[in-house]
Amino acid sequence: MSDQVAYFFQDLGQYLINGIAQGSIYALVALGYTMVYGIIRLINFAHGEFYMVGAFVGLFLIQAHLPFIIALPCAMLGSGLLAVTVERLVYRPIRKAGKIQALITALGVSLLLQYLGQNLLGADPRPFPDALENKTYMMGPLMISKIQLIIIVTTVILMGALRYLVMYTKIGKAMRATSYNLEAAELMGIDTNKIISFTFFVGAALAGAAGVLVGMYYNTVEPMMGMIPGLKAFVAAVLGGIGVIPGAVLGGLVLGVAENLVIGFWVSTYRDAIAFAILIIILLIRPAGLLGRNTREKV
Amino acid sequence: MNVVLKADALTMRFGGLLAVDKFSMEVAPTDLLGVIGPNGAGKTTVFNMLTGMYIPTEGRVSLLNEDVTDLSPHQITQRGMSRTFQNIRLFKDLTVLDNIRLAGHFRLKYRLLNSILRTKAFKQEEENLITEARELLKIFSLEKKETFLARNLPYGEQRRLEIARALAIHPKVLLLDEPAAGMNPNETKELTALIRWVRDHFQIAIVLIEHDMALVMNVCERIYVLDHGVEIARGTPAQIQSNPAVIEAYLGAST
Amino acid sequence: MNLVSYLGPLLQNAGVFIILALGLNLINGIAGQFSLGHAGFWAVGAYVGASYGVFFAPAFLPDFVNLLISNVLAIIAASIAGILVGVPCLRLRGDYLAIATLGFGEIIRIIINNLDVVGGPRGFTNIPHWSNLFWIYLWVVICVVMLANLLRGTHGRAIISIREDEIAAAAMGVNTTKYKTLAFVIGAGMAGLAGSLFAHAQQFIHPSSFSFMWSVIILLMIILGGMGSMTGAIVGAVFLTFLPEFLRLFGETVSEWRMVIYSLLLIFLMLLRPQGIFGKHEFNLKRLWPVKTGDAK
Repeated sequence: MSDQVAYFFQDLGQYLINGIAQGSIYALVALGYTMVYGIIRLINFAHGEFYMVGAFVGLFLIQAHLPFIIALPCAMLGSGLLAVTVERLVYRPIRKAGKIQALITALGVSLLLQYLGQNLLGADPRPFPDALENKTYMMGPLMISKIQLIIIVTTVILMGALRYLVMYTKIGKAMRATSYNLEAAELMGIDTNKIISFTFFVGAALAGAAGVLVGMYYNTVEPMMGMIPGLKAFVAAVLGGIGVIPGAVLGGLVLGVAENLVIGFWVSTYRDAIAFAILIIILLIRPAGLLGRNTREKV
Repeated sequence: MNVVLKADALTMRFGGLLAVDKFSMEVAPTDLLGVIGPNGAGKTTVFNMLTGMYIPTEGRVSLLNEDVTDLSPHQITQRGMSRTFQNIRLFKDLTVLDNIRLAGHFRLKYRLLNSILRTKAFKQEEENLITEARELLKIFSLEKKETFLARNLPYGEQRRLEIARALAIHPKVLLLDEPAAGMNPNETKELTALIRWVRDHFQIAIVLIEHDMALVMNVCERIYVLDHGVEIARGTPAQIQSNPAVIEAYLGAST
Repeated sequence: MNLVSYLGPLLQNAGVFIILALGLNLINGIAGQFSLGHAGFWAVGAYVGASYGVFFAPAFLPDFVNLLISNVLAIIAASIAGILVGVPCLRLRGDYLAIATLGFGEIIRIIINNLDVVGGPRGFTNIPHWSNLFWIYLWVVICVVMLANLLRGTHGRAIISIREDEIAAAAMGVNTTKYKTLAFVIGAGMAGLAGSLFAHAQQFIHPSSFSFMWSVIILLMIILGGMGSMTGAIVGAVFLTFLPEFLRLFGETVSEWRMVIYSLLLIFLMLLRPQGIFGKHEFNLKRLWPVKTGDAK
């Protein structure tokens, strides 16, 4: 094998590792998008802000010298409670008004949280303190940092927990029933309002965890940080098939890897355009996403 | 026989579900036909295939001797077939007059620029369109309500307006999807007379789907019966009424 | 400060935003196709118009002729962008269309950010100062008359019928794809026009002047006025252009909270008065002698 080919594969492997770490974060955020869409057909624009709030809660706790293992669940709790509040105050009253009204409202909530953050916390990015001693491990010629490992491990644990919650618990069963048919679930005696609140909580908690992880990964946190990753996570959810939980994970990973390959082999300045290009292609070729099923309007 | 609309072995599959299986039908220029069957028999699916809303899995549709199976709904409408909907689809926030005027849309010849510049062609054609729309509204006794928004009409008038709008297409074939749904016996009776009058006056073919047996038996000259997507009988009202398979399907469906 | 020099730029911006809001209102309010990428078309028009001004405009032509050429080029370029975006995206419905147009808007901005000839992230400078209140408001009047006439003709009715019920519209023989695209392209073209007028008024443009936030602000303008109403779009555009100045009267702190106020406005409008100020109605002298529409009083 010539050197060039060897270098190529070494680069490829490295980009894949970076892509999987990045993709895990997209996947965590995409899960909340997909769960909320699955249950009330709302694109929750504010989901990226739940991620931002999680990052800030994590930042403050780690600045207060709490260990990562405590900061993470607290940040998840913070994001989750915020999401439940927003759902109760804003989304619940608007739910019956129609899809577009709800979408516009979600856009409003997203901007509100961004600019509240900017006015209350300041617009400047803040450095994220080192919660852990950062190390780099070598796997043959490839490098993986401790943070990347933590991201991947945390993501796998959280996804396992989510799968257990949705598939094997009573409330998970109720979530699936509500997502399948809200009215029917209501008739079967399920308190759908409670289930919707709970779904928001779980989705936002995952986003909050992603926020803390990304803060540690990039060492920086700011009020506008949720906007682009939020949109990208939505793209990941659509890519995998919106409303389909494994789809969000697949979509997140595919998107993370695709971005890192483009950055690595081509140009980094088009990084943020990749997600949107993927989105448009997938919507045109297979609007139901990789793992979704097609539906059509009843005449 | 002179045929305006022909359905040839239309089949529709939704995933694993066979909604309609090899439905065939021939419609002559002034026929008045009915398609009946219990709920879920596939009647509306047949209409949706005829009008291009669904592309049939198999089979062909031809309208005025032209194969229209793969055309889109607006192209089929423009070739001379219009329809009403089971759950009334008027333009609810437009006036009664505008609802009718929209049906004349594809016949107008003036271009976008004419309307932006308000040219003579624009004014002349719009005037003719309004005159024609008003005549139609008169036939359906809606002339006093031309400025009303469609959503503000009582239910029976909405049904009539939808038929008037379908006629403003100048169709050769008119498909009515449960025109009497939600009407009281009196209104249904008036509708029966109206449907017959429309056929005679405009000399067009009418195919209707209906649940109301009295209406179908009174007005239709030939009837097709569907059950679970399959044609189980066809014939005159008298033949259908005494057909054991039909009685079975209806009694069976009601239990 | 001199009142004219204070009000001049504000009125210029108001005119630009009126054209933007009228265009978005045609797409979102009248055709019922929810687009979130309007700032992208605005950017295309601004950069094309500015490029003509900086690189190509012959000096011997009088300024207003150059401005008109710039306007026309901007309209054409933005309309082409509108076709490129509209043809694939308009197959999508509702929220999916919103996200796809948002994506396109962002892609346009990212591309501009990477174009070094037009300054990339540094912004585009030295754009000739050609537009002024007269030309901006002349275009506003042209747009209003054009749209009003369009809507009273059969093409306008066809566009409205798609908003009312797309399936019924197709059943009435309306080529829905064609008219959705038409509305989208006219709206995009108007945004392009607004971009060129804006560039030649500001003399400096920057990719971030056309960010997603601006698409949302233009959307807020038409929601505030009442989606589907041209009068509403105009009132909304003027109101939101002057609101920041009004807030400045209460000191810098309030002014800093501008975007918080906007987003609260958006949320409360949706919760309390989703139809906006005018609903779908137009200001019309005839309404002083109302016709019967059957509406409950």
